[in-house]
Amino acid sequence: MSGPTGVGIGWRPEIAGFVAELPGLRFVEVVAEALAPSGPLPSGLTALRERGVTVVPHGVRLSLGGAEPVDPTRIEHLAAVAELVNAPLVSEHIAFVRAGGLEAGHLLPLPRSRAAVDAVCANVARARERLPVPIALEPIAALFDWPDDELDEAAFLTEILERSDALLLLDIANVYANARNRGTDPLDLLDRLPLDRVAYVHVAGGAEHGGFYHDTHTDPVPRPVLELVGELCARRRPPALLLERDGGYPPAQALRAELDALAAASGFPVVT
Amino acid sequence: MADFEFAASGDTWGVSGPTFLRFYLTAAALLVAVAVVHRIRLISGGREGGRDPLDPQQAAYLNGGDTLAVHAALGGLRAHGAIGVGRNHQLKATGPLPAGATPLEQAIHHAAGQRARVRELRRDQWVDRALTDLREGLERRELLLSPAHRIAARRASLALLTLIAIGGVRAVLGLTNSRPVGYLMLSLVALVVVSLFLSRVPRVTRAGRQALHDMRRQHAHLAPSAAPSYPTYGAVGVSTGVALFGAASLWALDPGFAEQAEIPRQAISSGGVGSSGGDGGSGGDGGSCGGGSCGGGGCGGGCGGGCGG
Repeated sequence: MSGPTGVGIGWRPEIAGFVAELPGLRFVEVVAEALAPSGPLPSGLTALRERGVTVVPHGVRLSLGGAEPVDPTRIEHLAAVAELVNAPLVSEHIAFVRAGGLEAGHLLPLPRSRAAVDAVCANVARARERLPVPIALEPIAALFDWPDDELDEAAFLTEILERSDALLLLDIANVYANARNRGTDPLDLLDRLPLDRVAYVHVAGGAEHGGFYHDTHTDPVPRPVLELVGELCARRRPPALLLERDGGYPPAQALRAELDALAAASGFPVVT
Repeated sequence: MADFEFAASGDTWGVSGPTFLRFYLTAAALLVAVAVVHRIRLISGGREGGRDPLDPQQAAYLNGGDTLAVHAALGGLRAHGAIGVGRNHQLKATGPLPAGATPLEQAIHHAAGQRARVRELRRDQWVDRALTDLREGLERRELLLSPAHRIAARRASLALLTLIAIGGVRAVLGLTNSRPVGYLMLSLVALVVVSLFLSRVPRVTRAGRQALHDMRRQHAHLAPSAAPSYPTYGAVGVSTGVALFGAASLWALDPGFAEQAEIPRQAISSGGVGSSGGDGGSGGDGGSCGGGSCGGGGCGGGCGGGCGG
């Protein structure tokens, strides 16, 4: 099973019929928690698998950044789903979604401390023990920073990736959102991240509300994010780019235009 | 006098029970065989017709007749923003006719311009013409059985009914004369069951069912359970969704429109909730509220809105 390549799109039931008709598609991502580990796969995903399209399960509820050890049953689920779709790798977030028995329902940012690095690395090690394939970690978009961070974003991520020997799922829209909301330079982060560890890249849309840029996944991909894709590819082109859309789905024509824009910005073949 | 003869010979009609039963069952078997062969030939026609893909309205007609074809066209027009619904559940044209509109869509768009209600659409002569064309096209492709074919298929079961009547008369006569009629009665019960089965002639041929089945599998992503993104799939997607999965797709697309236009939540077959009541008060535009049109389950809200003011 080959790793993700080229331009892909997040497979969602709502747009399964659209995804099925993309002739050049080689790669999709599916929310791992949406699949039953014992099968059967949704028929749309089965058809893609039969076409040889790579399917990457993307976890959202593992809570690798939690202070407590990651729940083994959740890892088993992710592992089973990876086997089910014959995935070359899985991905999860550097974040926590629950603590002290409370479910946040959101991806929450970690304090960038050495203790947090230790906690994440311990959980990634636990996950990797049970996972049949490598894992790629995705830094999230955060609307706030914890006080007294010991590391900056680049140092924090680099250390986690090196110590856990994980791959990087870089979300370029998150890079844009964080830089814009913190008033920092996104190119500075791109220059300092270990781009050779990137397994694939997320690209998503967002919108500004109340002076903050929100990574909504329900709006069009803004021009500056596409430009950042170009900047990233100029430094080191990732193996694959994935368009993430989770709602507010536009007409097929608009979705195709976004996929074409990703292909144009990266130089990958068009998939539409 | 007749009684005398029967009494004299002992056998009803002068034919012994076993002899009669032998001839009777042979005749029944022949009739059933003819009926079954005829039926199989009718239903299994149209293999060629099923090869070309169906358009959404053809699929809708196969799946649910006039009503669903109208709903599928309404869905397509609504997704284009070409129609809306105004006061008193009357449709209105809110945009130009989309390019490439089918005859049925053209007719409905025109009727919407005349402020027709959904339940009145089938009485519109253009809509009626378009529906007839749709039906005849499907009959030519042998995906749908024509009324003539269905009558022919029923004729075989009518012959069987005649045979049952003869057997019934003999059984009654036999009973009144205390003759043994057990085997005859058993045969009659079996024949009644078979003839009931044969009198039910399906509307859709096997090729038609297969074409629908294939289309449902190909468009599984349009099932309402997948929460399909209608903006992404466009008007054809909406029409196809309604055609294959019923009016629930129209409700999922635009509940406000579906409610105000009095689309029943699940109307797979014709003659459903939408056609009940209402016909009596044909005249005025107002006051349809108290009547049959709003009595049913789903449309209470629509009534309050349309008539409260």
